[in-house]
Amino acid sequence: MKQKRMMAGFTEKTVLLAASLLFIFPLYIAIVNSFKTYDQIVKNPLSLPLSITFDNFRMAWERSKIGELYLNSIFITVCSLILILVTASMLAYIIARNKTRMVSYMYVFVLAGFMVPAPAVLIPSLKTLKFLHLDGSMTGLFLFYAGTYMSIAVFFYVEFIKTIPQSIEESGVIDGAGTFTIFFKLVLPLLKPCTATVFTFLSIWIWNDFLPPMYILGSDHGRTITTGIYNAVGRETTDWNIVFSCSVLASLPIVAVYLLAQKQFISGLTAGAVKG
Amino acid sequence: MRIAKKSAFVFALPGILIYFVFMVVPILLCFYYSFTNWDGISDHYRFNGIKNFTELASDDTFLDALKYTAIFTLITALIYNVFGILIAVILDKKSKVHNFAKSTVFLPVVLSSVVVSFIWSYMTQMDGGIINLVVNAFGLPSIHFYGSKMAILYTVSVAVTWAGLGYFTMVYMAALKTIPEELYEASTIDGAGKTSKFFRITLPLLAPGITINTVLSIVWGFKQYDHMKIMTPGTVQSITMNSIERAFNYNMFSYASAIILVLFVIVIVISVIQLGIMKRFEVSEG
Repeated sequence: MKQKRMMAGFTEKTVLLAASLLFIFPLYIAIVNSFKTYDQIVKNPLSLPLSITFDNFRMAWERSKIGELYLNSIFITVCSLILILVTASMLAYIIARNKTRMVSYMYVFVLAGFMVPAPAVLIPSLKTLKFLHLDGSMTGLFLFYAGTYMSIAVFFYVEFIKTIPQSIEESGVIDGAGTFTIFFKLVLPLLKPCTATVFTFLSIWIWNDFLPPMYILGSDHGRTITTGIYNAVGRETTDWNIVFSCSVLASLPIVAVYLLAQKQFISGLTAGAVKG
Repeated sequence: MRIAKKSAFVFALPGILIYFVFMVVPILLCFYYSFTNWDGISDHYRFNGIKNFTELASDDTFLDALKYTAIFTLITALIYNVFGILIAVILDKKSKVHNFAKSTVFLPVVLSSVVVSFIWSYMTQMDGGIINLVVNAFGLPSIHFYGSKMAILYTVSVAVTWAGLGYFTMVYMAALKTIPEELYEASTIDGAGKTSKFFRITLPLLAPGITINTVLSIVWGFKQYDHMKIMTPGTVQSITMNSIERAFNYNMFSYASAIILVLFVIVIVISVIQLGIMKRFEVSEG
């Protein structure tokens, strides 16, 4: 009986392992083929690279100016994140602590942003940004992100702050500290897990975003990593060696962020699911 | 503990201001422009009533986009939720293999839509694409991945859901953790089998997770742009693609705003209906 169950577990695991490998098979294809010459890809697309060549990466780096694209994307991602994390946590602190009718209306108003599909904001945003003389600028793009991701960041922070006991803040009040000191010295450090979650989510979404940078930055004002490699590769191209090396280069930094913050990412999803 | 009014105002202001200027104002503008005849460039434009919307009702490119986006949304929402639940139930165990499987399902989530589209364009090439190479090796004829509009929708759906499945699976896995173990134990004593446990306990208690995930998958489906744009030369348009094309290739800015407004209304109506229906099925928390 016990042996039979062990056998069943073994079969289940084997099938599961095979299914997992099949699932990430497209990633295998992208990675191994980024190290092959074009001819090798056509001849042997499935095999491991026989002789590893870094020429693709060199060509991709030079042709699509990956270095410049990295800097643009890092600048935009970092600026949006700082702006969102600071303003959203401050706003959420008020929403979580002051339970007046006015504040709860404000929360509903901010949460309504969840329902808005990003393209609905993009087209008219081009006009508001132009009005503010921010069109075609990276500042315009990161302000756009701050606006569109405010809802989700505030939601995460509000739900998290609600779980923090208020005794710490009360002791701060007794010591005569002002709201600013209490928030930045006492509360903000406690929000670290939540900040990590919001940071991971938003950095992945902003780094990978495609449509808004394409139209807000346009072609003359620098490109992000995604619009940059899209443009370098072009739609008709079949230079798969370049396509794959560009793809690998574009994904490396964000995969690194993900691997470093995997726990926060999953706990964030969990929080969202349990809240319902 | 209440925060004094003055500091509360100072704390809330920056966030609200950014949200208002870069989110609320554009949406209001979208509303406003969709009732005008503005081309997006010239200084003069006038109020147009509902003319944009009556034109939309007989605009074939828009109606096609609407139809195909709806079909695409249906396909992807089904894949996301059916496979999401199945995979979550299968992976709801602890072992090295199970953990490895979880990571693999989740890994594509961090990839950009551009990268995902590149990889799947290569996989689904008619000649020399990996999938057709494998298919041919078994002596079967090549698959026409881009042979018809429906074929394109299926092909793009596979690429999109491959990349996004991890999100949905993770939400379902988290929801599974909220189901009390005693329910399963009690049903075992009552002699319930695996299948009846799944349909009588797991599925009903997953309802809150199903609600979030269906709403999320529908919103994602309707706003689809990237993969369809990159993987096909424009044979099949999504609503967003249609609107972007109108705004920038035809200089029909107000018309594009009207399309976006329709998209917006569809998403909100479906989400509200969905939330209403699912609330009735959800088991109320004790």
